[in-house]
Amino acid sequence: MMNKPSRTSLLLALLLTGLSAPAVALDLGKALKGVVEQKPQETSPADNAQSVAPPEAQPSTINLKKPSQEDEIKLGREIAGNLLGAAPLVKDEALQKYVNQVGRWVATQSERPDLPWHFGVIESNDINAFAAPGGYVMITKGLYRKLTSEADLAGVLGHEIGHVIKKHQLKLIQKQQLLSLGAGLLGGSLGKDNSTVQKLIGSGAEICARSLDKDAEFEADRIGVVLAGRAGYDPYGLPSVLQEIGHSSKDDGSVALLFKTHPHPDDRLARLGDAIGNRFDNITDGKSLEERLYRLKD
Amino acid sequence: MNPSRILAAGMLMLATAMAHAESGTALKSDTLRAEPFPDAKSAGSIARNDKVEILDKKGAWLKVKAPKGSGWVRLLSVKRGGSTKSNEASGVLSVASGRAGTGQVVSTTGVRGLNEEDLKAAKFNEDEVKKLESGLITSDQARQFAASGKLKPRKLDYLPKPNTQGGQP
Repeated sequence: MMNKPSRTSLLLALLLTGLSAPAVALDLGKALKGVVEQKPQETSPADNAQSVAPPEAQPSTINLKKPSQEDEIKLGREIAGNLLGAAPLVKDEALQKYVNQVGRWVATQSERPDLPWHFGVIESNDINAFAAPGGYVMITKGLYRKLTSEADLAGVLGHEIGHVIKKHQLKLIQKQQLLSLGAGLLGGSLGKDNSTVQKLIGSGAEICARSLDKDAEFEADRIGVVLAGRAGYDPYGLPSVLQEIGHSSKDDGSVALLFKTHPHPDDRLARLGDAIGNRFDNITDGKSLEERLYRLKD
Repeated sequence: MNPSRILAAGMLMLATAMAHAESGTALKSDTLRAEPFPDAKSAGSIARNDKVEILDKKGAWLKVKAPKGSGWVRLLSVKRGGSTKSNEASGVLSVASGRAGTGQVVSTTGVRGLNEEDLKAAKFNEDEVKKLESGLITSDQARQFAASGKLKPRKLDYLPKPNTQGGQP
C-alpha cells in the first residue's frame, strides 16, 4: 500500500481529464457534478437540481468518454500490476519473448498496431486470459498448456486484443464509475474520500473477475479469428481452443472463473460458426505452426 | 528398447485411444471431406443433430463417423461431448494432437489458482509490471518473427454480427 497515494492521484488525474482550467480541475465536487449532468439516466431520480452546475460552465468537460491513449495505458498498467500481484509472470524469458512476438504480430493486424502491446504468461493453473486497457494481455499457464499450436495461441491472444481495441474493459470501468460517482454524490459522501476513486477499478484486480456483457465476448471471438487469419495463421485456432475448454466439466475448478465470466464455450462456438459461415473457405494456406509452439519446461 | 516392447507400447497406445473414442453432435449441416481441407473431395454429409463418432483431429478439423459416411469436418460444425467428466474423454484427441502424456491432470501443488478472492486481495506489483514492460517487441521485430515462420499477412474483413441465436444452419 506504500505507493497507493501516487497511483490514486494518477487515477484522479484520469478522472479529471478534460478539465482545462486548473482551478476547476482541482474542484472534484464540480467535476463530478459534470459527470452526473452528462449521464442523468445513470443516477437515481432524487432531486439533485441544485447541485448541478450551469450547463455553460462545464460544456462536456469530463472526458471520461474519451480518455487519451496515455490515460488508457496508465489505467491498464494499474490493472495489470494488480493482476501480477495475484499471479506473477512465469519465470521463463524465452516463453515470455515468444508470446510477445506472436502477440505483437497479431496486434499489428489490428487498427491499433502502435499501442505498446505487452503480453505475459502468468503463474496459475487456472484456465483464463485477461486484457486491460492500453494493450496489456495476460494468459495463464493453465490455458497455455491447452494450446497445441502457434495458431491456437494467436487466436487466444487475438480475442484479448479484440477486447483492447474495442475498449470493452474501459467501457465497463467508465460505466461503473459513473454509477458509483453518481450514487456517492447523491449520498453526499464525496470529497477527499479516496475510496471513491479507488472504485474506478475496484480493489486489487477485481475488475478482472467481472463479466463483460456476452456480446462483447462474442465480438472479441469474431475479432480474434480474423486477426489470426490476417496474420497468416489458420483462423480456426481460437475455436479449437474453445472446444478443448468446453470439454472441461463445470466442476473443474480451473475453469470456474472463466465459465462464470464468459458465455459457455459451446455457445461461443455456435455463434462463431454462424458468423464465419463460408467466409473463411478460401483460406487454405493458413499456418498452424505446431512445431514452433514454445513448450513449457514443466 | 527391444522391438517387442515398442510393439507392446504401440498397442497399448492404440488400445487407449480406442477406449476413449468420443461422441459428438452435429451443430449444423455440412459436407464431409475426404481430407482435412476445404476443397477436398466430398465424402458424405452430416445433418444438424446427427450423432457422430470422433475418430481423429487435425488442426481445426475433426474426422467423424456419421450416419451418412465418414470424413473430415470443420470443428465448428460438431459439438464434442457426451462425456461430462473433464480430461478423461480427450484421449483420442490428445493422442492425435501429440499431447498425450503431457500431464493434463491439474496439479495444485505450489501454484495457486486465480479466483475472485485472489484477484480482489491482489496488491500492485511494480517489479512484475516492469518485467512485463521490458519484454516489449516492436512491430518490426514482430514482422521478422512472422517472416521466419513464413507467415504471410492477408486481407480479411471483420465478421459481421450474425443474426441467428447460434447453432442455426
